[in-house]
Order: sequence, then C-alpha cells, then structure tokens
Amino acid sequence: MSSRLKSILFAAILCFVCSAILTTASTGLQRFQEQNMRIDRHRNILMSVGLVKADQRYPADEIESMYAEFIKPLWVDQDGQLIEAPQEDENNLPLYIYKKENQIEAYVVPINSRGLWGRIQGYLAIGNDGSTISGFTVYKHSETPGLGGEIEKAWFQKNWVGKQIVDRDGEFVSVSIAKGAVQDMIPPQKQSNYVDGISGATLTGKYLTAGLKEVLKDYEPVSIKFRKNLIAEPPG
Amino acid sequence: MNGTITRPWGMIRKTRSFKDILAALWDLNPISKQILGICSALAVTVQLNTAIVMSIALTLVVAFSNLAISSMRRIIPRNIRIIVEVAVIATLVIMADELLKAFMYDISKQLSVFVGLIITNCIVLGRAEGFALSNPPFRSFMDGIANGIGYSSILIGVAFFRELLGSGKLFGFQVVPNALYDFGYVDNGLMVLAPGAFIIIGLFVWLEHTLLRGKR
Repeated sequence: MSSRLKSILFAAILCFVCSAILTTASTGLQRFQEQNMRIDRHRNILMSVGLVKADQRYPADEIESMYAEFIKPLWVDQDGQLIEAPQEDENNLPLYIYKKENQIEAYVVPINSRGLWGRIQGYLAIGNDGSTISGFTVYKHSETPGLGGEIEKAWFQKNWVGKQIVDRDGEFVSVSIAKGAVQDMIPPQKQSNYVDGISGATLTGKYLTAGLKEVLKDYEPVSIKFRKNLIAEPPG
Repeated sequence: MNGTITRPWGMIRKTRSFKDILAALWDLNPISKQILGICSALAVTVQLNTAIVMSIALTLVVAFSNLAISSMRRIIPRNIRIIVEVAVIATLVIMADELLKAFMYDISKQLSVFVGLIITNCIVLGRAEGFALSNPPFRSFMDGIANGIGYSSILIGVAFFRELLGSGKLFGFQVVPNALYDFGYVDNGLMVLAPGAFIIIGLFVWLEHTLLRGKR
C-alpha cells in the first residue's frame, strides 16, 4: 500500500471514529442540556422582573416553582391584545406576564438582537405602566469576553432598571446604550432613555440598541395599552 | 523529612510518574517555566470555581489525548500526524464541553469560549507532539496528568490571589470580614481584570526562577 493511500485511509477512519464518538455524546447529553437551557431561560425571566438576584445561586426546582407561580407565558396579537392560546398566526408575538395576586406587575419581552459576533438573546421586563424598564438580562450571546461579553454582567444590567422607553412627552423612543457614561455624554432631559455603555464594545452597544428598538417597536401596540391602563389582569 | 516515611510512599517517590509530576510542577512547569497556555490562565482565573473546573478539563484532555496518540503512535502516518493530533484533541475538547453543558451549566457559561480554546492550548499539542508520539501509552498518560497538574497549580494559585484580593471571596464565599470594609478597605479592582492576572503570573514566574536559581 502506498504511503499516500495509507494516509488517506487513516484520516478517513479517524474522522469516522471521531464523528461517531461526538454524535453519541451529543445526542446522549442533549436531554440534560436542553433542560439546563430551559431552566436558565426561566431564571433569566425571573431575574428581569427582580424575583431572582443575579449573584445568588438557586436550585433548579426553586426556579421552576417560582416560574410556575409568578410567570405566565402569553401571546400578543397585532392589535396589542393579550391572548392565551397561540393561534396559527405568525404575527402573534410571545410575551411573559409577571403576575402577583392576579394583577400584572410587569411584562417581559424576549430580545433577539444582532450582536457583533452573533445573536444576542435575552429579556427586557417593563413595568405595568408600559414605559419603565424593570430589568434586562442576557442568556445567550457570542460577544468577546471582557468587552461585549460584559452585557451579561450584573453591573451592566442593573443600569437598566428604572429607565424609560418613552421620552418626556410620552412618545416611544426605545432605550439606547450610550458611548461611555450617561452622565457625561447625554443631556439631562434624555438621560432616562440611555444606559451606560461598555468601553471597548461600541459596536455591541450599537447593534443591541438597534435590535432593542426593533423589538420594542413590534411590542408597541401592547405597551400603549399598558400606558393607557387598559390591561390590569391577565386573560383567562 | 521526619524519617517516618512509610514504604508505599517511598515506592511512589521512586516511580517515573512521580518524578514526571514533580518536574511538571516545578522545573518544567508549563505555565511559569515554559510560558504556555497563558491565554486561558488569564481568562478563567477571576474565580477559584472556574479555575478548578478548567484545570480538571484541561488535565483530562491532555491525559487522554496523550493516551490516544501514544497508542496510535506506530500507525499514525508521519506526514499527517499534526492533523491527527488536532482531530483527537478537538474531539476530546468538544466532549468536555458537552459534558460541562449537561452537568455544570453555570460554570460552562462562565468558561464560555475558553473550554473550546483548550484545542489551541499549546500544552496539549506540545505534549502530544513532544512526548506521546515517542513514548508508551501509560507513561504518556501520566505525562498528561503531570502537565495538567503543573498547569492547574498555577491556575489555582493565580485564581486564589485574584479572587481573594479582587473580590474578597474564596469559592464565592466572603472571607474578608465586613469590619475591614468599614475601616475603609477596598477590593483591588485590577485583580478582576486581565492585567491583574498578568501581574500575578509574572510574580509567580519571578518567584520560581529566584528559588530555582538559589538551588543551583
């Protein structure tokens, strides 16, 4: 057997063995991984409404029981109505309601935005006044650790609490990430619409700002209803 | 020594594996002596937890990649050996990553890309190329363990100081008493950032070189 043929044969067998091992591992562990991801998403939803602290560890069943008690997944139709069952209509948007004693405290919007290196996925919780942010979290991203990756850190996320998605006249403006500290960069009357940026992550901030605006615009119909106080109780 | 060394311990001390581990810990430490694997040593040493998980993952990857490559060393065609080594290492690293995602999700999220970057860690390829290709499987496996321990010792040492000085914690538990903060003590923010790791690793290298020079 020529040495070239031997090399090719060896490489082919090696590739086959490696891929067989990896496929087995990946399918065998998928169930555990998916469960972990689901719990992590639930933890992030709870964190965005302030029920769970970022720096504390919670057992999985505690997360699940809190989620079952306080959070209700719903859908929003085109007119901004909250509906229970997801009908076969792709214009319906998913939404999570934070309810306490059958009163809506806040609603949570899933974020799926462009980032510098990949999609940024997280949640933005807005209070029942339809304009005040009660929390922002990220559960999946591929930004550079230490730079754009800081979006998942508590110091960045706590800046979002209390910011407004409307300006002083009540018009929708979304919320933007400043280039630097809000206090130095943004005029006082606009400071409630900006959060502190991350140094070295200008592009991440830019893309996330644009992505948020897009998402919040889609949810504007339901936000307006909250602002006008038309929704107080979850349907059903 | 106090003269009461029991027999098995004496036997262990004479084995080659023990000598390998000792060498990797001290004379030939992959990080502080050979300056390999610095990238991950900077990135995952903010907390002890992540440093320890990373250490275990890397030690297992080096050990098993050495074992696999050493067992195949007679049949690996020389002209594609680097490709074979990288394929074996990459398979093991992805396995480690999948296992972490399944059973230690929080830590796997904190380690983020750095588990995947074990593939490019010079220690792993260096040991495969430099040792496993020319030594029998068991010795190669032990060499992997030895180098993993050498790497871990620095990683955990650096993480200890960074977490203690940077956030006043160890394993996530507060160890610097609150009373000290009341007196005006402030955590060293530099330690949380990558330059802090550079400084600590530099101090480790300095310390080791000074001690080694004194010995000779």
